[in-house]
Amino acid sequence: MNSNSKFMDLLERVLMPIAEKLNNNRYLTALRDGFLVALPLIIFGSIFVVLANLPFLDQMISESAFAAYQEALGPASAATLSIMALFVIIGIGYKLVEHSGGEGIYGGVVALAAFLILTPQMVEETPGGIPTSALGAEGLFVGIITAFVAAELYYFFVKKDWTIKMPAGVPGAVTRSFSALFPIALSLTAFLIIRIIFTFTPFVTVQNFIYTVLQEPLTVLGGGLPATIVAVLLIQLFWFFGLHGQILVNSVLDPIWYTLNNQNLEAFQAGQELPNVVTKQFIDTFIVGIGGSGMTLAVILGIFLIGRSRQMKQVGKVSAPPGIFNVNEPIIFGLPIILNPLVLIPWLLAPVVVCVVVYYSMLTGLVPKPAGIIVPWTTPPLISGFLATGNAWQGAVLQLVSMFIVFVIWWPFLKVMDKQYYEQEQAEEAAATTETEKPSN
Amino acid sequence: MKNILLACSAGMSTSMLVSKMEEAAQEQGIEANIWAVSQDKAIPDMEKADVLLIGPQMRFMKKKYSIKADEVGIPLDVIDPMSYGRVDGKAVLTRALELIENN
Repeated sequence: MNSNSKFMDLLERVLMPIAEKLNNNRYLTALRDGFLVALPLIIFGSIFVVLANLPFLDQMISESAFAAYQEALGPASAATLSIMALFVIIGIGYKLVEHSGGEGIYGGVVALAAFLILTPQMVEETPGGIPTSALGAEGLFVGIITAFVAAELYYFFVKKDWTIKMPAGVPGAVTRSFSALFPIALSLTAFLIIRIIFTFTPFVTVQNFIYTVLQEPLTVLGGGLPATIVAVLLIQLFWFFGLHGQILVNSVLDPIWYTLNNQNLEAFQAGQELPNVVTKQFIDTFIVGIGGSGMTLAVILGIFLIGRSRQMKQVGKVSAPPGIFNVNEPIIFGLPIILNPLVLIPWLLAPVVVCVVVYYSMLTGLVPKPAGIIVPWTTPPLISGFLATGNAWQGAVLQLVSMFIVFVIWWPFLKVMDKQYYEQEQAEEAAATTETEKPSN
Repeated sequence: MKNILLACSAGMSTSMLVSKMEEAAQEQGIEANIWAVSQDKAIPDMEKADVLLIGPQMRFMKKKYSIKADEVGIPLDVIDPMSYGRVDGKAVLTRALELIENN
């Protein structure tokens, strides 16, 4: 027992600094904030993808009416979800400069302009257009890197103070508009030079370079089952020590998961075969979205079914309402799951088994793959599974099956825990009654 | 009026605790303004608070928050995991008032 707690201590001392570094790293913080800025727009677009693909509607109205209906709703997602890289970039640039103490809005626009400078400005040989795919799935990696560099470069020039000095008495807004000029002009010139240099390389564009060298290998790796299992295990391990594993792992993997997601969205909207199983929604809806990390809604149901001890019943009662919306701190800290060696096995095992089951049921076509629709993580299970798969009932059924798997894996461990608590409570009660009987004797 | 600020990742789970703490404050006749925020909102909101309590799952933020807390002169602490799990508003409120008292 002693060596056990020493080992726990050691792990805690290893994991805490990692958590601190991951959560407070300035680039990862800016990245998280960037996605946070884009999120309302992404969800807005997702709602209209869901509405445009309502089940049975295509059978209820004529083909041309359905096409007109889809076309009418199309711009909602085309202007938001499909070009999400733009909003992430503005968010990153804004937050990065703001964190440094500069004016965020300039950071946002300089990042956006730098990205557009690097973007191919030609659609099918016709100049003057930008392909929307370059602003979506294909643009996310190059966009994130560009936003980092552009914002830092801009702020570097601001700090150098190579600005035009205005005489006293000139209104503040006028001075500010000029003070931003030099840093922005210098930063953007640098990006123009980068663009020109790349036209002399075999890659031709920076987009193509980042895509080939970084994005493609990383998304292939991140979209595979082994890497996904590692990510899921890391989330569970962090949580076991009471650290918010999801937020930590997301901050690193979100660019990959969102890219895979948008690739599916493009295919879904074009009516083609969806390329990826692992996406943002694979994690958010099918692994986490069943009560929270560790799919604890199934554990809560288990408590209701077998719980005899007061403590278990109490935990179930407190945890159920937030659990439906995938908030599970009460059960994680209350059961407790944290630092509880008894539940370590089901805590680590259940999500991995579910991960494998979900992966193969989608790969084999038993259940449709996530359609690229971003469902808010607080959406209750079954509804989220239906929406994430592009309004497919199989998505909801898969979540039910996953809950059953988690439930079965947890069952024996819950039994043992409940028995321990129950016996403890009985012993305490017996002690309490003898205590109160004493004076009367 | 006591101003009690709670912070976690998205301000979701701490907001559950807020309503329980408000109930406890009302029972004890304490005038308190209690609110929960996401992790990036905590730093600006500290200016309006008398104490900051951090959800245990975000305890790795304590060091970062301490700098700002020192600056505005308010105490901060990580919420006890057991009280957090039980959504024990009374215990957390007591701790918050204790921190304000000792500051």
